[in-house]
Amino acid sequence: MYQVEASKVLLKPRLWAARSARLRVPRNVVMLGLVSLLTDVSSEMVATVLPLYLIFSLGASPLVFGAIDGTYRGAAALVQVASGFASDRWRRPKGVAGLGYGLSAVGKVALVTVGNTLGGIGAIVAVDRIGKGIRTAPRDALISLSSAKDRLATSFGVHRAMDSAGAMLGPLLAFGILFLAPARFDAVFVVSTLFAVLGLAVLILNVQGKPDRAPRDEAAPKLRAALRLVVEPRFAPLLIAAAGLSVASISDAMIYVGLQRSINFDPALFPLLYVMTAIAFMGLAIPVGQLADRIGKVPVLLAGQALLFVTYGVLMMSSVGYLALALCLLALGGYFAATEGVLTALAGALLPETLQASGIGLLITVISLGRLLSSVLFGALWFTVGMQSAVVIFAVALIVAIALAAPLLHRAQRLAPNE
Amino acid sequence: MSSRNGRILLGLVAVCLLVGAGYVVAAALGPDETTTKARPHSAGAALAKTDLMVRAVDPSNPRLNGRVYEINDGKVKRRSGDLACERVYYAAGRGICMGVAPSGVDYRAQIFDSQLRPLHEIALTGFPSRARVSTDGRYGAMTVFVSGDSYLQSPSAFSTRTTILNMKSGAQVAQLEQFAVTKDGKPFDAVDFNFWGITFVPGDSNRFYATLGTGGSHYLVEGDVAARSMRVLRDGVECPSLSPDGKQIAYKSRLGDGEEWRLRVLDVKTLDDHALAETRSIDDQVEWLDNETIVYAYGNDLYAVPADGGGEPQLLVRDASSPVRLSSGF
Repeated sequence: MYQVEASKVLLKPRLWAARSARLRVPRNVVMLGLVSLLTDVSSEMVATVLPLYLIFSLGASPLVFGAIDGTYRGAAALVQVASGFASDRWRRPKGVAGLGYGLSAVGKVALVTVGNTLGGIGAIVAVDRIGKGIRTAPRDALISLSSAKDRLATSFGVHRAMDSAGAMLGPLLAFGILFLAPARFDAVFVVSTLFAVLGLAVLILNVQGKPDRAPRDEAAPKLRAALRLVVEPRFAPLLIAAAGLSVASISDAMIYVGLQRSINFDPALFPLLYVMTAIAFMGLAIPVGQLADRIGKVPVLLAGQALLFVTYGVLMMSSVGYLALALCLLALGGYFAATEGVLTALAGALLPETLQASGIGLLITVISLGRLLSSVLFGALWFTVGMQSAVVIFAVALIVAIALAAPLLHRAQRLAPNE
Repeated sequence: MSSRNGRILLGLVAVCLLVGAGYVVAAALGPDETTTKARPHSAGAALAKTDLMVRAVDPSNPRLNGRVYEINDGKVKRRSGDLACERVYYAAGRGICMGVAPSGVDYRAQIFDSQLRPLHEIALTGFPSRARVSTDGRYGAMTVFVSGDSYLQSPSAFSTRTTILNMKSGAQVAQLEQFAVTKDGKPFDAVDFNFWGITFVPGDSNRFYATLGTGGSHYLVEGDVAARSMRVLRDGVECPSLSPDGKQIAYKSRLGDGEEWRLRVLDVKTLDDHALAETRSIDDQVEWLDNETIVYAYGNDLYAVPADGGGEPQLLVRDASSPVRLSSGF
């Protein structure tokens, strides 16, 4: 089906250009994007200065920070599934998402008032992670339910672009404040709290909790129905494909480390790699989403995965110049733009309206566990056979994963309810 | 959205802007919070023989930059200049002061002269950890904790970076990562190599000892600056510190896999070692008061203990860290 659409696009490039110029996005999606932007400014401000704060103001050893940070990874994954189902079961995606955003806001307030002990910081980081775990699935369900099915990828593209804009503004703001007021971490925490409160306020005041596609008369889903999604003929292939692709993809953190070793540049510039990738991601998220709505989500998703081969190619080079580095980071940004958001959009199109949050929660959990496993595997391979061999092994694994995912995703889409 | 909700939101935005901007402005106009005015207090008589340079520790905020003090005949004297650091070392007219930069978000090292005047400034890529200067004042060595390039162990583990400096020009001579390492006569290399805690050989600044961490081991290595090479001597030695006569190395020895250490002293010729009377966990690169006594930080204070394993720890200076023996005064 998408191939027919694709050829239409190729035949009428002018019409396409005219259409893409008008970016029609539901108001609710923009508001949810704004909520994420404000919340990300808030949390990235804190995430940026927390290691400095722990070591500088609390006198902790740098090693303690690693322990605090690592403690709560993984716990969030389980929360995602539970909160997704709760949101479907009570048919209150806005309420459950609000609980998640509220918890993070409370965490920021606590940082200002009681965040001067290591135990306190540990608890606050835990609350923040849980809050993030709670809000993700219902928020994505709201984005999905607010959008027409043929505009889903654009909506997710807009949301992800706004989200990453917040993630870039946060560190800038934090460093700006510390530049004006050296070592006044409390000022960073106060401003961060205000952004968290504003994000929550936009959610409460401006986000519609029962958007157009929200289920109205259907019975509330049972837990068994949510669990059955794992074997559901339309959704299960998507989960399997997502799991395979995320395990076979080298994580961005590993790619940055690999790049650093090939380039051997000043480690002080290390954060620039994140920033440049985020800029590429932010710029590409919306056009790639529009492309996915126009020519089909599956080919865009697979092409996005294939962009990783560009970064692998650069990793294999013995010396990396700035042009190759820019190409590598652009490809990485394109990969992000064409995969996670598009995959969630695909899930939104496949899932019944009553189980949107449950399904998206499952999908996000599968992806994040897959990435975790990928990092561990790649680290172990790097250590035993060296980086270049590890990259080759992962490249082969990615070819296999794409070859297996393509028929699975096509099958899932063919069975999708008619648009 | 009703217009009432819009008005509420607008009001909230205005309040947040006012509160946030007001708080930041008030903080910006407040006093500098990167440096403390704390001062050390002499507590022991053993100091009468040796002069020390130390860094003042603020017990309520130990990581703030502390002013540099001299302890002369057991009396604490503030040196002129506004040098303040988290880690300090000095020898033969040249010193290294590692600390928080005035921005409060970066770290820097300053090379200073005998009047504590800063001569060169070097941006640091991580948290200050160890500093040393060779006895002739030719080379300096700095170790910092770096975040971000040790994902191999755990997503946010820290690794270390150790640099050798030319103390006259302030230029970097080498990073230990660039040196060739041998173990049992064969080349030795792994991606998880970390180096820390250099100590220069007294009277021969080209030679040094340091720690190489890899795969759970902490090797004592002996290095040659000109040859850019190091060789592994033995396992289980961290933060070595050579005695003034160069015959013994005091170091910290890790207990199990955790963050707990005991001080030990080994003989450079035979590599035989023995425990010291200090039974608390010490995380410091110790300094030698003379060939018989070492001095180190525990908590916010400095203690001394005999190097032969006898005696017992003795409190020397309260509210101080980073002790430096001043062999011939300033």
